[in-house]
Amino acid sequence: MKSFQYATVHSTASARELVADKGAYLAGGNDLLGLLKEYLISADTLVNIKSLPGLNKIEHGRNVWTIGSLVTVAQIENDADIKKTFPGLHEAAADVASQQIRNVATVGGNLAQHSRCWYFRHRDTQCLKKNGDLCYARNGENRYHSLFTGNSCISPVVSSLATIFTSLDATAIVLRDGKETRMSMAELYQRAWENPLAHNSLSNTDLILRVEIPTTRSRSAYLQASDKHAFDWALVSCAAATTIEGGKLKSPRVTLGSISPVPHQVEAANSFLDGKVLDDATATHAADLILKDAKPLEHNAYKVPLAHALIRRTLLKLKGEV
Amino acid sequence: MSNWPAETKVIGQSTPRIDGAVKVTGKARYSSDIQAVGWLYGMILRSKWPAAKISSVNLDKARQIPGIKAAVPVRDGAFTIRYYGEEIAAVCGTSKQACLDALRAIEVVADVKHEFVVNEREALKENSARVWDSGPNAPANPRPRENGNVDKAFSECDAVIEGFYSTPVQIHNPMETMGNTVSWTEEGLTAWSSTQGISSVRDGLAGALKLDHSKVRVITEYMGGGFGAKFGAGVEGVLAAKLSKEAKAPVRLMLTRFDQALAVGNRPSSFQKIKIGAKADGTLHAFEGENYGTAGIGAGGDSGGGGGGADIPMPYIYKVPNTRVKQSEVAVNAGAARAFRAPGHPPGSYGMESAMDDLAAKLGMDPLELRLKNDPHPIRQREYKLGAEKFGWREKYKKPGSSPGVVKTGIGCAGAAWPAGGGDRGTQGDAQINPDGTIEFRLGVQDIGTGTRTVIAVVAAELLGLKPEQITVRVGDTNFPPGPGSGGSTTAASVSPAVFDICQKALAQLQTQSGLADARGENWFAACKKLGVSPLVVHGQWQPNLSADRACGVQFAEVEVDTETGLVTLKKVVAVHDCGLIIDKLTLESQINGGVIMGMGYALYEERVMDDLSGVMLNPNFETYKLPGIADVPDIEVVLINMPERGVIGIGEPATVPTAGAIANAVFNAIGVRVGSLPITPAKILAALGKVPPAVSA
Repeated sequence: MKSFQYATVHSTASARELVADKGAYLAGGNDLLGLLKEYLISADTLVNIKSLPGLNKIEHGRNVWTIGSLVTVAQIENDADIKKTFPGLHEAAADVASQQIRNVATVGGNLAQHSRCWYFRHRDTQCLKKNGDLCYARNGENRYHSLFTGNSCISPVVSSLATIFTSLDATAIVLRDGKETRMSMAELYQRAWENPLAHNSLSNTDLILRVEIPTTRSRSAYLQASDKHAFDWALVSCAAATTIEGGKLKSPRVTLGSISPVPHQVEAANSFLDGKVLDDATATHAADLILKDAKPLEHNAYKVPLAHALIRRTLLKLKGEV
Repeated sequence: MSNWPAETKVIGQSTPRIDGAVKVTGKARYSSDIQAVGWLYGMILRSKWPAAKISSVNLDKARQIPGIKAAVPVRDGAFTIRYYGEEIAAVCGTSKQACLDALRAIEVVADVKHEFVVNEREALKENSARVWDSGPNAPANPRPRENGNVDKAFSECDAVIEGFYSTPVQIHNPMETMGNTVSWTEEGLTAWSSTQGISSVRDGLAGALKLDHSKVRVITEYMGGGFGAKFGAGVEGVLAAKLSKEAKAPVRLMLTRFDQALAVGNRPSSFQKIKIGAKADGTLHAFEGENYGTAGIGAGGDSGGGGGGADIPMPYIYKVPNTRVKQSEVAVNAGAARAFRAPGHPPGSYGMESAMDDLAAKLGMDPLELRLKNDPHPIRQREYKLGAEKFGWREKYKKPGSSPGVVKTGIGCAGAAWPAGGGDRGTQGDAQINPDGTIEFRLGVQDIGTGTRTVIAVVAAELLGLKPEQITVRVGDTNFPPGPGSGGSTTAASVSPAVFDICQKALAQLQTQSGLADARGENWFAACKKLGVSPLVVHGQWQPNLSADRACGVQFAEVEVDTETGLVTLKKVVAVHDCGLIIDKLTLESQINGGVIMGMGYALYEERVMDDLSGVMLNPNFETYKLPGIADVPDIEVVLINMPERGVIGIGEPATVPTAGAIANAVFNAIGVRVGSLPITPAKILAALGKVPPAVSA
């Protein structure tokens, strides 16, 4: 990697000042150090934000829970209250990478992580995402790529937490230009839908401070399918959250991960499910709606039936035996 | 009958590795741990192009990077690059970062060629780019081999199936990557190599650098696996030596995982078209097999213990009276193949055993019955019967595709043969017996990780009436009497007879010098004391009637297949193996466990992915070159047949041969359709089940 300055900060103001245009925030470092070592990005300053006060806590409010951006994925996985209140979040955290990675990976880093597209990650290919002329994956080896995209890049978002946070209607609180800005998950990734160079909507100085999750939905579930049984990326992930009142779904949300540059939600599916009794037929119809406009490529069409199955299973899991 | 004692106390028991403690406490020094005084890091610049003509390599700027002590080109003058990752130059310096900076400062003038081909099917096309200027990528007329009258025989069959079975290129990924620390001074050259053949590395370095053999010493105290890729010093070893000479300091040049994926060996792919016919009772009558595969730019020169070519044994372990086999190899712009644990056999077993199950389905036969009907080998017959009982085959077997529900279960089996595994007749060794009763064996063999030190200690303890921990064993140094390369599963069968001979000679000599009728066991220390002040040194060598070759082996697999997600879960493997006289049950079981896990990776996860457009390998890392993890590994039950009458036979290779075939057949049995291509991924399962929609063109 190229040489860089290293600084540990104790306030968000100095974090922002030091990171400026060419620095990078360092928390768990799982993604950042890999990018630096492969010369995929460079940073003149690494700003260690792990000592920023107050960002490593999980706080339980009556209507809203707050998860600091420095909370580790393992902290979420091991938090008994989260498991009870947001079981889908627990499940998503538990499926992230390996125990060692979960121990240091943070919520902020998981949300902000870059594309895993193997053309982007390759040191000697100059793809669209690296200011090159073409997307190699589109007519190449696209087995891990998107079924949906709003631009010519087909690398999908891979954050498992983003998938479940989207279904839970969570809000990211981002420090932007010295002010706290509230962004929905859709807003947090919007730019990746439009712009092949982006993997989220954050600018270099933007810093995710925390995530707020409304307790509106008492039931949630997450499932992912991978090539292997552990320590493998999701081929497709699915998260769902809802409340069930009088046997009927209320404000349900279903989200897919790893099949689009953004967490994939289809409003028509959510509104179809609203007020319905959850059964095989409704789950199947919701899955049909969510995948209706999928554009499978040569090697990733298997993700369509796979996503379909995961949607049905995740939805039926919401019924639970609670 | 072998000359081993009929009754044994140590041989055949489960003896923990005598070097287990130093390994788990980190005291064992692997090649990548060696820190010779004043050592420098070495690194290699690799081609970022799949094909190019290099006209010049300018190292001046690299040499000016602070901390850099030397830089050398891989060869002088112009040369041709034929694959992504081929070596261009190397540097050494005081830190890794200095080397990385220097690699980026090297100026390469290249005429980049846009005509290249990295995938087999493309390379076979008439208008394909050529890997070698000298000729087409594949021979025009594959060599056919025919026995009997195949065309006539097929017309006499009651059941005929045709299948297409393919296997990917599998990358060599030992735990320790390839590499050496080399110190080259006026006095000579010392290489601490991660190698499975210290003698072949010594000879290779001496040849490449034009040095007398006597001036080159190779040391391999501990090494982390080789599997056929580590017989030679390799380009990286020669570069380390040249750097050491120029820098006047020892240079440690261990490959990174990225390097490892590109240029130091792999198992060739196979594309097998198989047609078999049988009589109504299941008797095989006709076979036709066509196969091609790629060994990259060719079979590597480092293959040592076996070919790195793309041919496979067909029709594998079966004798079919009428057979026709055509095989060819196709070159692509990718790293060369090398011998890889049982070269040719895992793909050979996978293809033929898959075809056998497809035939059994056509005949309406239990596939185990079809094997018992046709497998000519009496040992495998025994193994199938024993394994079927342990596995519960008869209780578990149901017709392909008849498992109910979304998650379906299935079982399968497959067989192995390994033609080698016997001893190297040139194996020699010494033992020094001290008057205090301590004894040290010195053999110029290396422990590839299978427990060779322990095997030597067990054999010596048995014959001398001592305990294994009382035996000191030194291996891995070319200053010791010569030993075999650890390839072809030969090591145990080479060293055990040599140690036997050393012990017999030591006992005879001790008897003479001490006057005691039997120097073994409780008399050992008294006998040694009579040596007075001079230790006794005896020399021994491999002797006949103590080892044999040709092990068999069969494996049974049970899987669950989720027909909605395509995920295959391997639940259970029963591995039944023979390897003559069992020396140490524990290290033997370890090798079989390892073989099954490696075979599982081949069946379900591993695959080199090359990109047609850019010519690069897309998965030179463990993120997307997927290997089995502990969560994937099934319950493995090892069942051993001890055959002391055959003498010692190696097990390393047969243990990994039948796994992929057994798993593939279990998947077929579960879902009732054949996934004719390894690795069996969720994507392929869903496709085989007809669930995948067509692509939408952009």
